[in-house]
Amino acid sequence: MAEKKWNVTFLVNRQKGDGPGRLEPFRLEVNPDEYVLDAVERIWAFHDRTLCFRHACHHSVCGACGMRVNGVEKLTCITHIKDVTKDGGTVKVEPLRHFPVESDLVIDMTPFYSRLEAVHFPQVVPLNEAPDPDSDSIARDRNAPSDLARLVDCIECAMCISACPVPLTNPDYQGPAILAAIQHQGIAKNPDLLPFADNKNGAWRCHSAYECSEVCPSNVDPGWRIMDLRKQVVTTRIKNLFGSK
Amino acid sequence: MTTNTNENRALIWKALSWFDVRWRAPGTWAFALNRITALGLALYLSIHLVVLSTLATGKDAYQAFLDAVNMPVIHFGSYLVVVAGIYHGLNGLRIALTSFGIAVRYQKPIFAGILLFTIIVSLYVFLQMFHII
Amino acid sequence: MDRAISQPKPGETTWLWLLKLVTGVLVVLILGTHLIVQHLVSPEGLLTFEQVVEWVSNPWVALMEGTFLVLAVCHALMGVRSVLLDLRPSQGAIRIIDITFLIVGVVAIGYGFWLLRAIQAHGVG
Repeated sequence: MAEKKWNVTFLVNRQKGDGPGRLEPFRLEVNPDEYVLDAVERIWAFHDRTLCFRHACHHSVCGACGMRVNGVEKLTCITHIKDVTKDGGTVKVEPLRHFPVESDLVIDMTPFYSRLEAVHFPQVVPLNEAPDPDSDSIARDRNAPSDLARLVDCIECAMCISACPVPLTNPDYQGPAILAAIQHQGIAKNPDLLPFADNKNGAWRCHSAYECSEVCPSNVDPGWRIMDLRKQVVTTRIKNLFGSK
Repeated sequence: MTTNTNENRALIWKALSWFDVRWRAPGTWAFALNRITALGLALYLSIHLVVLSTLATGKDAYQAFLDAVNMPVIHFGSYLVVVAGIYHGLNGLRIALTSFGIAVRYQKPIFAGILLFTIIVSLYVFLQMFHII
Repeated sequence: MDRAISQPKPGETTWLWLLKLVTGVLVVLILGTHLIVQHLVSPEGLLTFEQVVEWVSNPWVALMEGTFLVLAVCHALMGVRSVLLDLRPSQGAIRIIDITFLIVGVVAIGYGFWLLRAIQAHGVG
C-alpha cells in the first residue's frame, strides 16, 4: 500500500534576536502520521540550514521541542501533522511566548531555569512525598518506603508559561511551573519558599485561566497545584497569625 | 531604546491580548470574560454612585434624572450590566471554589454551566426588561 | 540578570486576596436582594422617589444597602488594583495606586452613607 502523502505549507518563524519576526513558508510533501518536529528537521536539512530550533529525545521526556503550533503550545515530537492540518493546509510554527527569542524557534530559557533554581526544584523525590493531582490526599502512597524514588513529572518545557495570559503584561510573574515546583515541595516542609509563593507576582497573580494545565504534556497539572499552593499559603499564614509553627 | 510613549503603546497592545482567546481553551475565555465584565461593572458602579446623588437633591431632580435616562440605549446598557453581573458573580464563585482546591478538576464543565445559565437568564431578563413577555 | 523574585511585606498579599474573595462572595449574596427589590419590584424597573425613600427609611434595608456598598466598593477597587498589577507597575506606581484607591474607597463609602442619610431625611415629617 502506497504511503499517504500530503502537501502542507509550514509557516515557520524566522527571527534573529530582538529583530522583528516573519513567517517564512516552506512547502513540504509529508506523511500525515509524521510529527511536526520531523517536518521542521526536514526543513532544516533540505531547505534552510540556518533555521534554529531545539530538539533532543524525540519522545516527550526532555521538553526541548516545545513550540507553538497554530498558536497552541505543543511538544512537536509527539504532535502528528494530521492533528494540526489537512492535505493542502498550513501549519504555523512559532517559538514559545514570553521568553526572549534567540533565533527563529529557539528561546532564551535562562529566566525560567534561574527561577527554578531559586526555588531549589528537585528532579527526584521519595515516593511518599510526591503529591499527585490524581490522588485524593496530597501525598501519594503514604505506605511506600521513603527511599523509593519517583521522578518528578515536570519536564521543564516552559509551555505552561507560554500559554499563561499573565506574562503577556507581567514578565515578573513566576509562572505555573515555578509555582507548581513550590507546591510540589510544600510550604510546610520548606518555609523558605513562602515568600516566593506569597507574593504579588506569585500565587496571587494567577487568574485561573488553566491554560497551563491545558498545554502541560506531562502529569503536572499546574493549575491544580497553584490552587493547592494558595491553600498551603493561607493555612500557613493563619497558623502563623495564631502563633503555631 | 524605545520611548515611554512606545512602551506604553506596546503595553496597551499586550493588555488587549488578554482578550485574544483564539486557539485557547475555555479557561481563557472565562478569564477574558471575567476581566471584561469586571471593568464594565467597576465603571457602572462609579456612574451609579454619582447619579444616585439626585435622590439626595429631591423628588424633582430624581424624576428629571429618570426622564433623562429613559432611552433605549440606556435601557440596553442597564441590561448589559445585569448580564455582566450574573456572569461575573457566578464565575467569581467558581474561582473562589477552585482557589481552595474544590472541584478544580471540574472547572471546565462548571464554566460551561455558568455560561449556559447566564445565557438563559439573560434571555429571560431581556424579554422581561423590554416587555416582550 | 533581572531579579527573578520580588519581595513584598510578608503576608500582605494573602490577606488582600482573601479579602477580595470574601467580599466578592458576599456581594453575590447581597446583590440578589438589591437587584430584586430595587429594580424588579417596581413595574417600571425603577422605584419612584417616594418608594425609594420609604424603602431606605427601613433601618434593616439601610443596613443591607450600606453593607452592600462597602463590600462592592472594596471588591471593585481590589479587582481593578489586581488588573493594574498585571501591567507590572513600578513600586512607586503601586504606592500611588494604593493610596489613591484607599482615598477613593473611603470617599465613596463615606459619600454612600451620607446619601443613605440624605434619602432618609426626605422621609422625615
